[in-house]
Amino acid sequence: MNCQEFQEALPHIVLESGGNAEEEAHLRSCPSCAILVQDLRYIADQAKLLLPMHDPSPRVWSNIERSLRSEGLIREGRMSLMGHITLTPQMNFPSQSKSWTPLGWAITLAAVIVSAVMLVNYHPVSPVSQEVLPSPAVSSLEGTDEQLMGQVAQQPAAVRSAYEDSLKKVNTYIADAKKAVDEDPSDQAAQQHLMGAYDQKAMLYEMGTVRSLQ
Amino acid sequence: MISPELSETEAIERAKQGDAECFEALYGLHKRRVYSLCLRMTGNTAEAEDLTQEAFLQLYRKIATFRGESAFSTWLHRLAVNVVLMHLRKKGLPEISLDEALEPQHEDGPRKDIGARDNVLAGSIDRVNLERAIESLPPGYRIIFVLHDIEGYEHNEIAEMMGCSIGNSKSQLHKARMKLRDLLKLSRAERAARR
Repeated sequence: MNCQEFQEALPHIVLESGGNAEEEAHLRSCPSCAILVQDLRYIADQAKLLLPMHDPSPRVWSNIERSLRSEGLIREGRMSLMGHITLTPQMNFPSQSKSWTPLGWAITLAAVIVSAVMLVNYHPVSPVSQEVLPSPAVSSLEGTDEQLMGQVAQQPAAVRSAYEDSLKKVNTYIADAKKAVDEDPSDQAAQQHLMGAYDQKAMLYEMGTVRSLQ
Repeated sequence: MISPELSETEAIERAKQGDAECFEALYGLHKRRVYSLCLRMTGNTAEAEDLTQEAFLQLYRKIATFRGESAFSTWLHRLAVNVVLMHLRKKGLPEISLDEALEPQHEDGPRKDIGARDNVLAGSIDRVNLERAIESLPPGYRIIFVLHDIEGYEHNEIAEMMGCSIGNSKSQLHKARMKLRDLLKLSRAERAARR
């Protein structure tokens, strides 16, 4: 198999599992095609780590609410009380049975404040002094994260694992966004990514605190 | 009086009865993921907001038919994808033209510009740059890439949703990844030049 034949077959090769014996043999003997496949795998792997980072503007809900009322799909009553009901977060977490305590509010507020302070006090360094560091696929937990993991330590293993995984992903996102801001401090899109990443981290802390209060 | 904390299942059941607050709570829980999907597929903020609105309106109109055979988020997500695809079809399909994948292009065929070890992408790109590169993809490539590599749909599901063959879906995904590779290398070179 030559490079042309291999690259014609490439769209039908499942990157995760590899090709047939002939294709694998070509990969072992051809550095060019091996690098190509390595790059494509890397792109696919990185794409899986992308998080939903953007919120729609408030007018979207206003329009939905107006339409629901005009169609008679909702009972008359209070609306626009976002946050009044706290839904159990994703990942099929069991339902909450207790209301928030003052301690819970305090812990969550502290987590949000810490995130905000980190964001406000983040001063990007000059691009000139910035070294190019590889972006890790999955970052590690930070010191403050151990506190959150401690809060959910009594939860089932699947829940703890989900929290740990989410924290690592959001830490990676924060690191990436910081790097982008470092490279170009005037880059507004990068700044929005950074704010969004911290927002997600604050949300994780909030979720974890709720769970710890069960 | 509604409990301040509610499971999603309870909220769905109450929304089926027309509970306004539960509608809003479900929106709050899923808006970010639905909007991000719409934004990534269209690359346009205004369109993404309109489509998010339409997806949730359809959700609420159909919520009584949700029986829980699949996860609610999966159901909603599929609904949102269909809303986006329907919208793009109404625009005349150029946004999701499969011709981009089916017609021979100059980038088809074996690549001659690869091989140097320092060209390897691994470790040199981050998610911010990847998001930007995805935004720069031609719409047809971007939709397949978002559906497969980000949202995790299989080729047979994409083929069904897009009305194309599985082979076309694979071909377009491959071209999307190749295009992204070029865009990311270009981005890396530009960043290096700025330093």
